[in-house]
Amino acid sequence: MIEAVGIERTFHGHGPFTGSHVVRALRGVDFTLPAGGAVAFIGESGCGKTTLGRILAGLETYDAGVLRVDGKDVSALSGRRRGELFRSIQMVHQDPYSVLNPTRTVAATLADPLRMVARRDAGGRGGFGGRGRDRGAVDRRARELLELVGLEPDGVLPKYPHQLSGGQRQRVVIARALTVDPRALIADEAVSMIDVSMRLGILSLLRDLRERLGIALVFITHDVATARYLGADGELHVIYRGEVIERGPVDTVIQSPVHPYTQCLLSAIPVLKGLEDPGPDRLEPLGLMDATVDTPGCLFEPRCPFATERCREEHPELLKQSVDGADVEHACFHPQIRHVAAVDLTHA
Amino acid sequence: MTDTAERAAMPPTSADAEVAVRDLTVCFDTDRGEKPAVSHANLTLPAGCITGLVGESGSGKSTLALSLLGAVPPPGRITSGSVTMTGVGEVTSLRGAKLRGVRGGYIGYVFQASQNSLNPLKTVGKQLLDLGRAHDVDDLAGLIRRARELCELMGMDGVRILDSYQHQLSGGMRQRVGIVFALVLNAKVLVLDEPTTALDMLSQAAVLRIIARVHREIGLTTLIVTHDMGVVSELADRLAVMYGGRIVEDGPATDVLQSPSHPYTRALINATARVSGDVTRARALPGRPPDLVSVPTEGCVFRDRCAFAMDVCSEAEPVLGSWSRDRRRACHADAETVTSA
Repeated sequence: MIEAVGIERTFHGHGPFTGSHVVRALRGVDFTLPAGGAVAFIGESGCGKTTLGRILAGLETYDAGVLRVDGKDVSALSGRRRGELFRSIQMVHQDPYSVLNPTRTVAATLADPLRMVARRDAGGRGGFGGRGRDRGAVDRRARELLELVGLEPDGVLPKYPHQLSGGQRQRVVIARALTVDPRALIADEAVSMIDVSMRLGILSLLRDLRERLGIALVFITHDVATARYLGADGELHVIYRGEVIERGPVDTVIQSPVHPYTQCLLSAIPVLKGLEDPGPDRLEPLGLMDATVDTPGCLFEPRCPFATERCREEHPELLKQSVDGADVEHACFHPQIRHVAAVDLTHA
Repeated sequence: MTDTAERAAMPPTSADAEVAVRDLTVCFDTDRGEKPAVSHANLTLPAGCITGLVGESGSGKSTLALSLLGAVPPPGRITSGSVTMTGVGEVTSLRGAKLRGVRGGYIGYVFQASQNSLNPLKTVGKQLLDLGRAHDVDDLAGLIRRARELCELMGMDGVRILDSYQHQLSGGMRQRVGIVFALVLNAKVLVLDEPTTALDMLSQAAVLRIIARVHREIGLTTLIVTHDMGVVSELADRLAVMYGGRIVEDGPATDVLQSPSHPYTRALINATARVSGDVTRARALPGRPPDLVSVPTEGCVFRDRCAFAMDVCSEAEPVLGSWSRDRRRACHADAETVTSA
C-alpha cells in the first residue's frame, strides 16, 4: 500500500560554531510495504530511520523521489486530498508520556477523532443519523477500541494519562491511532520507553492488529530483537547514513547477515549468559559514525574491518542474492555470511 | 575475567564484602502516609565483583543505590538498617564533610541520564576543576592528569575531551565523561545507574566494554543498576533482582539467568525480546509493576502477577533466604518447581 522510490531528504543546518552544514538524512531509499505487511527499519542513532518514518506518515517533506500511497503519487495531490490519504497511515511515537494531553481523560482523547470520523461518514452518505449524531455510538466504538488494545474500558475511560502506566499509555496511543481506521501504523521506537515486562505485550498487540485487522506495520527501532515479534513474513531493512544497505526476511538477516554493518549491529546485542552463546563471528566496527565525512565509495568503508581499495572508490548498489533459500539484497562488494547473532542454548 | 568469575562462585562472606547493605528500609512521606520504597533490603557487593541490580521502574533500585551515597532525596529517608563499607564503616549516620569525603573519594556514582547532566556553558575541564575545589583537592594539576589518564583508558583523547563543551560530545562519550567524573577522586566503588539507556546498540556495546575494562584495570567494586537483563548478563558476575522495593532473588549471574528461582525473575527473562530461540515461547507479564502506593502491604508483593501464587502468598511475606549454594530467594513456592517450570 506504500511504495517509495529513491526518497531523499537533506537538511540544511546553520549553527553558531559549525557554520552552514548539510546533512543528507536519506540518500535514495526504495521500499514497498504491501497491505497487511510488516517492515522493520533498524540502524543506529542518526541513520535517518526516524526521518523516513515521518515522511511515510506525511509529517515531513522529501526532496527527491516518489512516494505512492495506494498507487497515488502524494506529491501530485492537493493538500486536502493528501491529508485524507495520509489519514490511513498513523504514527505511534516513542514516548507515551508526552503524546497524550495530560488535561484530558482517555474518554475525551478518543471521542474527538471518533466524532470527526462519524461526521465524515455521515457527510459522505449525505444525510443525518450518522454516528456523529449518536453519542452512544462514539462511546461504544471507544470501548471496542480499548478492548481491542487489551485495556478494560470501564477502568480506563475516566482516567487521565498520569494515572496510567507506560504500557497502558502506549495502548491508549494505539487505540487513538485506530480511531480513524488506519491501514498502516508507523511505530517509531514504540517500546523503548516501556517497562521490560510489558514490552512484549505491546509487540504482540501490534502483531495481533496486523493478523486480525490486516493493518500493515512499519517498525522503526535500534533493537533488532523486537523486530522478530511482529509476525510472519516480516522484512528487515538495515539503514546506514540514509541508505538501505541490506534487506531481507527478518530471520534470514538476523541468522545469516552478509553486510559487515549488519553484522556489527547484531554483534552489539547483549548475550544472555547461561541461555545463549555469543555468535562465533562477532564483529566490532572501527570507530564511530561520522556523518560529516563524504566519500565516493561505500559509506561504511571507514569503519569496515574488511574494506579494500575498491570500497574507497566505488559506491556499492543493492544486489540480489539468495541466502538460506531466501532472497536478500545487500550493498557490499565483499558479501560474506557471518554468524554473529547469539545462539540459543536451551533448545539447541 | 576468570578471576572474578571464580570469586563470584564463592559465597559472599562479610570478610570480602566491599559494601554491605543490611536490613535497609527507605520510606517516602506521601499524602497516604509513609510508604517504603525499599523494604528490608540485604545486599552485599563482594570486592572486585560487578554486581547487577535489575528491576523495573518503581522497584526501588535507584533509591537503594542512592542510599549507598547517603543521598536519598527528601521526603525520602532511611528509617532502618545500615550500609557498611570497608575502611569507612557505617555510612547512613555520616553527615557534612565526612559524608562529602566518602562521596567521590570512596564511592563514585554515575547518575541516570548522566549524559545530560553536564553544564552546557563550561568545558569538561572547567567542571572537573569545580569538582576538585568542592572536594578540597590541593593538587588540581594532578586531578587533571588523572582525568586525562582515565579518558585514555576509555579510548578517548584526554586533551580534546577536557577542552570540549558537552554539545561537542556524542551520547556515548558523555556517558564515559560521567564515569571519569565518578572515578577521578580515586573511588574504589563505582555505581552506575542505567548506564546505557538512550544509547543505541553500538554505543551501548562500546560503553559496556569500557565499563568492563575500567572495572578490571582499576580493580573496582562495581554496582550496575538497570532494567535491562542483557546489560547485566553481559557484565555482571552477580545478579540481584528487585521488585516492589524487595530484593526477591540473588546469586551468580549465569546461574540466575539459567535457572531463575523466583517467578518474577523467570517471567522477566521470558518477557525479554531475544534474537535467538523460539519467538512463540516468549511471554509478556500480565499486570503492571506496583508503585509506592499500590504495592501490597501484606503478603508477597508479586502475588498478583505470579503464575505460582498460592493461598499463603496473600497472608505472609516471603523472606529472602538461602536455598542453594550462594543463591537466595524470597518465595513461598518450591524452588525446584519454579526453576524447572
